[in-house]
Amino acid sequence: MKKTMIALALASGLTSAAHAQDMVFTSWGGTTQDAQAAHWAAPFTEKGGPAVVQDGPTDYGKIKAMVEAGAVTWDVVDVEYDWALQAGKAGLLEPLDFTVIDKTKLDPRFVSDFAVGSFYYSFVLGWNPANFPDASPATLADLFDTAKFPGKRTFYKWSAPGVIEAALLADGVAPDALYPLDLDRAFKKLDTIKADIIWWEGGAQSQQLLASGEAPIGFFWNGRLSALQADGMEVGISWDQNITAADALVVPKGTKNKEAAMKFIAEATSAEGQAAFAAATGYAPVNLGSADLMDPAIRATLPDAQTAVQVNADMAYWADHRDEIGNRWYAWQAQ
Amino acid sequence: MFSAAAPRRGSGLGFAMPAILLLAAFFVIPVVFLLTRSVTEPQLGLQNYAALVGSSTYAKVFFNTFFVAGVVTLVTVLIAFPVAWALAIMPARWSAVVFAIILLSMWTNLLARTYAWMVLLQQTGLINRMLKAIGLIDQPLQLTNNLVGVTIGMVYIMLPFMILPLLGVIKKIDPAILQAAALCGATKWQALTRVLVPLATPGIASGALMVFVMSLGYFVTPSLLGGTANMMLAELIAQQVQSLVNWGMGGAAAFLLLLVTLGLYAVQLRFLDRKEAA
Repeated sequence: MKKTMIALALASGLTSAAHAQDMVFTSWGGTTQDAQAAHWAAPFTEKGGPAVVQDGPTDYGKIKAMVEAGAVTWDVVDVEYDWALQAGKAGLLEPLDFTVIDKTKLDPRFVSDFAVGSFYYSFVLGWNPANFPDASPATLADLFDTAKFPGKRTFYKWSAPGVIEAALLADGVAPDALYPLDLDRAFKKLDTIKADIIWWEGGAQSQQLLASGEAPIGFFWNGRLSALQADGMEVGISWDQNITAADALVVPKGTKNKEAAMKFIAEATSAEGQAAFAAATGYAPVNLGSADLMDPAIRATLPDAQTAVQVNADMAYWADHRDEIGNRWYAWQAQ
Repeated sequence: MFSAAAPRRGSGLGFAMPAILLLAAFFVIPVVFLLTRSVTEPQLGLQNYAALVGSSTYAKVFFNTFFVAGVVTLVTVLIAFPVAWALAIMPARWSAVVFAIILLSMWTNLLARTYAWMVLLQQTGLINRMLKAIGLIDQPLQLTNNLVGVTIGMVYIMLPFMILPLLGVIKKIDPAILQAAALCGATKWQALTRVLVPLATPGIASGALMVFVMSLGYFVTPSLLGGTANMMLAELIAQQVQSLVNWGMGGAAAFLLLLVTLGLYAVQLRFLDRKEAA
């Protein structure tokens, strides 16, 4: 009965349901999904796989509803890595078939039973040089220093790995002592600049805020800054203590296209697929073989060229504490 | 097929059946389902409601929701009334053009309109630059990420919903009544407050209720123009359902919002009934 009701509730959202033989890939939209369609889905279909219907944006509530209703219409979904770990434990995901997906070639940081990396990215300090002609910010401490670098700063709005880590690092916590996260300390640090924060909800907004000078400094997905540079805008980037997080590819439990879904993930995480995607987006490949296939000039702009000054957000920690941190995060924002 | 001799009783209900079925399938059942979840997740009980009522953060979000909706409604009425009045007394050819402009804004994508306001209102935006250029201000005004931003963005979206019902009512007012008021010695202000506004009250009331209720559930505009300090209930619900996948809490918040909305509607119905009876 419960399942019927969920199915009814969902029915209105299923207008995009695909033909039986097609599969559906869901991601976050924008240039990222365009690249996923061009460099993963198109070659997959060309090599004899089913047609891939693009859907989106990713919505965790919808995934849960689909799985519980037994009416899964998303076959492969791009999700945040920490959510993938949590959802795997909660029974919302199919275990991945590693006889189809070759995990020996993948960066072990981004491989788990229910999820493999989709790509990985860094949160980096970025600024608009027009607003800071005299001195350039260099460290995360500068990002929180409104005396030295006045003006609004922009940060990612949603509860996710990145901003809390940045606050702690800026406050002097050593990278290897970040976890377990000292939330009290992080929010205290964030409180010092709260009135100056403009939150960005999506990549396009973060670019607009920086380019217009509305928020001349902030904490960005590295690919979005590369895209601004590619458009000819002058953007300052500091990779010092860049914080990595990743997206994951997952298969919601109960999909009817499980076999095709696994093959799609194998194609998406192949050395070629990852290299082409990375070149198009500025995000780093999770396949260890991709580097050799890429133009060294492009590789130098990716997060995997910055491992020496990199801090890895602890996805397992986030998966275990996602709800607790999220509730505190949103409550703090609303205060 | 049915002749005029067919029994008439219940035939109205028959015509309403498709609508009733549609509402039952796509509104009532999901709402019941959401309500069930709000008292069964994570376990059976009222813990979600207790958390909602007991937390100062959620209390603030509730307050924001009603406060913002109230401010938006008030400003919308104040702007819509003169517009509707002007439309009613304008030559028909002009009013058709103005009317088309008002309707046209409703056909543009909400997100696009909200982004447009962001670009206009932000500190480096068009409005601030213009004010600076003509020397009215030295420092840019803070027009986004606060109550000002939400109000501007939402009033703009809500105006047609206020103007339309107002126009319907005002058009029915006989202009001779105002002439009569003037002949009896009423000043323009008296004619407005004692004659025009009371006669337009049903339109104001129904428009205001619609605007208030729609504002209560608004999500995109407050989130983009209001900043997190003005977080409204709809955003809290979206966070709980989409980001935290906590349907129990999201359901509880949604149900409280629905309850309040229905309550307001009931009050208005009663208020209008009494008006009409009087």
